[in-house]
Amino acid sequence: MKRFVFSVFVLMVFVALVAAGPAWSKEPIKIGGIFSLTGYLSWLGEYKKKAAELKVEMINQAGGVNGQQLVLISYDDNSSPEQASKVAQRLISKDQVVAMAGTASVPLSGAVASMANRYKIPTIINSGYAVDTSKDPYLFNTSHKTDFAVITAYKVFQKKGIKKLALLMPIGPLGEIGGTAARKYAAEYGVTIVGEEKFDVKAADVTAQLAKIRNMNPQAIFAFVTGEPAALIGRNMDQLSFKVPLLVSHGNANPGFLKLVSNVRTQMLVPSGKVMKPEALPDSDPTKKVIVEFNKKHIAKYKEPANYFSAELADAIDLIAEGLRTSGTTDPVKLRDAIENIKGFVGMQGIYTFTPKDHHGTRPDDMILLTVKAGKWEVPK
Amino acid sequence: MNALKRYWWLILLAAIAVYPVIGKPSPYRSGLLIFAGIYIILAVGLDLLMGYTGQISVGHAAFFAVGAYTSGILTAKYGFSPAAAMGVGVVFSATLAFLTGRPVLALKEYYLAMATLAFNEIVVTLIIGFEGLTGGASGLRDIPPFTIFGFSLLNHLHYYYFVWTVVVLVIASSIAVVRSPFGRALIAIHSDEQAARSFGVDCAKYKTRAYMLAAVYASIAGSLFAHYMGFIAPDDFGILTSINLLVMLFLGGIGTIFGPALGALFLKLLPEITYQFQDYELLINGIILIVVLVFFPRGLFGIFTALRNKIVPRMGK
Amino acid sequence: MSDISHLVQFLFSGITVGSVYALIAVSLVIVYKVSQLICFAQGEFFVFGALTMTTLVSKGVPVPLAFFLSIIIAMALGALIQQVLIRPMKNTSVGALIVMTIAISLALRGLALLIWGRESHVLPPFSRGEPIQVLGAALQLQILWIVGITTVVLFLIWFFFEKTPAGIAMRACAENPYGASLMGINTQKTTLVAWAWGSGIGALAGMAVAPMLFTQYTSGIMPMVKGFIAMSIGGLGSIVGSVIAGLLLGLVESYTIGLISSKFSDTIVFALLMAVLVFRPNGLFSRS
Repeated sequence: MKRFVFSVFVLMVFVALVAAGPAWSKEPIKIGGIFSLTGYLSWLGEYKKKAAELKVEMINQAGGVNGQQLVLISYDDNSSPEQASKVAQRLISKDQVVAMAGTASVPLSGAVASMANRYKIPTIINSGYAVDTSKDPYLFNTSHKTDFAVITAYKVFQKKGIKKLALLMPIGPLGEIGGTAARKYAAEYGVTIVGEEKFDVKAADVTAQLAKIRNMNPQAIFAFVTGEPAALIGRNMDQLSFKVPLLVSHGNANPGFLKLVSNVRTQMLVPSGKVMKPEALPDSDPTKKVIVEFNKKHIAKYKEPANYFSAELADAIDLIAEGLRTSGTTDPVKLRDAIENIKGFVGMQGIYTFTPKDHHGTRPDDMILLTVKAGKWEVPK
Repeated sequence: MNALKRYWWLILLAAIAVYPVIGKPSPYRSGLLIFAGIYIILAVGLDLLMGYTGQISVGHAAFFAVGAYTSGILTAKYGFSPAAAMGVGVVFSATLAFLTGRPVLALKEYYLAMATLAFNEIVVTLIIGFEGLTGGASGLRDIPPFTIFGFSLLNHLHYYYFVWTVVVLVIASSIAVVRSPFGRALIAIHSDEQAARSFGVDCAKYKTRAYMLAAVYASIAGSLFAHYMGFIAPDDFGILTSINLLVMLFLGGIGTIFGPALGALFLKLLPEITYQFQDYELLINGIILIVVLVFFPRGLFGIFTALRNKIVPRMGK
Repeated sequence: MSDISHLVQFLFSGITVGSVYALIAVSLVIVYKVSQLICFAQGEFFVFGALTMTTLVSKGVPVPLAFFLSIIIAMALGALIQQVLIRPMKNTSVGALIVMTIAISLALRGLALLIWGRESHVLPPFSRGEPIQVLGAALQLQILWIVGITTVVLFLIWFFFEKTPAGIAMRACAENPYGASLMGINTQKTTLVAWAWGSGIGALAGMAVAPMLFTQYTSGIMPMVKGFIAMSIGGLGSIVGSVIAGLLLGLVESYTIGLISSKFSDTIVFALLMAVLVFRPNGLFSRS
């Protein structure tokens, strides 16, 4: 009998909750987040997740979008394409999100892209994945194009008279993309590629490759890698007293990298968004205000400044919100069209203007080249 | 009540068939079961090789990769129909297994484990190396959904039925193989190779055939995987995947066909519960495995049969 | 830089990596000799050693003290795992035991994630100073440490197994566990000691190489695989064989990268490995 009374009570509470639910407020708008929180990419997933959460919070505090609050539902992709594909599906069909953001590498983006296009959910990735709008109509990318990073560096090379560049590329997606971009723009900026070596990102030592590269007499080395291997190359160059600058990927523009290269003497060149050096921007730069404001909140909440990964995600959420505002609906297909029509939107990564052919939206001028001096980011003179 | 004991698998079959009608799963739910089904095919094939023939392999994902990439490349780049590409993958995998089988399977235990692991790494590094053909480490994109006679299986329920039909066929054929004279020869090799040889069993031939069969199943699983994902990258075919398959076998109960299938299902669905533990997920997964291995040495299937034997006689009274 | 300096640079690079492979292989062999089991969690001891020492050093513990403390912690951990998790599984198949060690490695990796987080950690070199120039190639001081530690460890192992009663008992156990137990040797205790040794040496490998690498919770997977390879080339049960094989593996890798192709170096290494296994099924150094 007791059990029966209890069951009836539970049932009543349940009914009351269900009935009261819709009366509270309008349903929040769900946005999906896919982040690498475990596995080999887990060191950067956390930065992205934090920034996305902060941006959602900021938008909600300002009254939300179209009178509705945003809610971020995020999952871990284990740094595995299979898992990324699974969580994308979970977000789309179980949580019924209107849009997705995240993913940290080219294969992960590829796996999520396949689901986003299949189920027609606008998705803003941030990795080296080049969005081909004819095949990926639902995909946008807030990471700067690899081409832009290369152009930004080549412009500085031109100024400094660096003409001979050697490539030391990781075996993997980044190496493939970096090598292609480096060759594509070499002639335009008077750079000659004197040779290319490959290395395994899990390797403990790349001095063998560096010894070969030294024979090519380059004035700089370009290694399109992120994190540990980038620092390892720098350290191995120290050991060989091989004193040329080392250009690495824009994924290194974060505080973790400063720690990794804390006792490396090789000059590291890191293409970056402007987020890493707001104080070096002129006040006339419209992105400065956005960066400074987000940075302040980021420091207040997480006790550390925003970095390149934070900016990618903050912009991704912002662009989704902007699309929701201009389209006035939560229909994913209309939302996609609205995002594609965004013009001159000021974000942290630059000023976005999307077209049916360009889903990256940013320009080479939205990037700067940084170097590390005494544990701090500096703009090379 | 003996009927229940004998025909319990019919209930299972019915459950598989009826689930989408009653459960009305979202594409996500059926997606989970599709992935689980694909891994069941892999695990059951590996069970024939490891559980019955006693030949360890730490490189089974190599054939998974061969199937996936053959299907992916032929359909995305050369316009093959998915069924034809799957066929080519099967032939290719079987040939590869035939060529490598004899020398590799002459090895024993840890040496065999090592050689199969090396084989797995070779396949993966070749996929990464020949990026022009395979898309390299960035992955291969634009793989179309599966079609049968022009009928697209893009709908998740259609693909669920397709994959699970293959699962049932694989399990049924595996049971048939195990009960055939060929299967008995395999078991004989497992228990004592020398004795089997003295009875005139050509061990190398039988081992190679078991290897080829396992490779064919893995290749089919690979094709199913590629068409469902629409995108494949080498990350999913490394030795970690092979090691995961080993875990599925022992977790479920090796050498029982149904055990490894159960292990695959369990391991693929476990993260759905443990993902919410976030940072603790890895540790908890490890502990769950340890607990099963320590307390249930015959695996999950051992628990299942024990329960069945307990319940059925009681019901018979 | 001349061609000779190239070859010397590849030699240094090969010895560095090879010593690590050799140490891991030795740690695997010691456990294997006593219990006929390859412990797939050995890579995790590598990580625990490196990260424990990094933490201790960053907390201001002097390097030598941190060094020995980390080894002792790893040894205790290994012994604990053997006692609590491996010992109760005495009567199960080798396959199940291997999977058990895989499960242990998962749990340890999860534990490392909780303790040290996701980021990579850097351990300062054991001694500061410029690399030494040898024939135009640069030799890092840490490489001398690695080689020195490897040598000392090998000597200690030799001394232990050849000269001490406990070591001789362990060898007896490895050769004939039943006979050894009849002789009154406590097989249970020797297995425990072997695990402690194995875990300690695994951790030592991680610590020695930590200043040249960046260590995080997943860093143990690759060294484990390479150590396993070295061990099988060396013939599973042979300490000397696995040391030579480990060094050889490092050198082959380094010279393949330097002289043939960096893109397919892993393909070549693994293909060579398969060839060795097929043509010398009992290891490269077996007499038969």
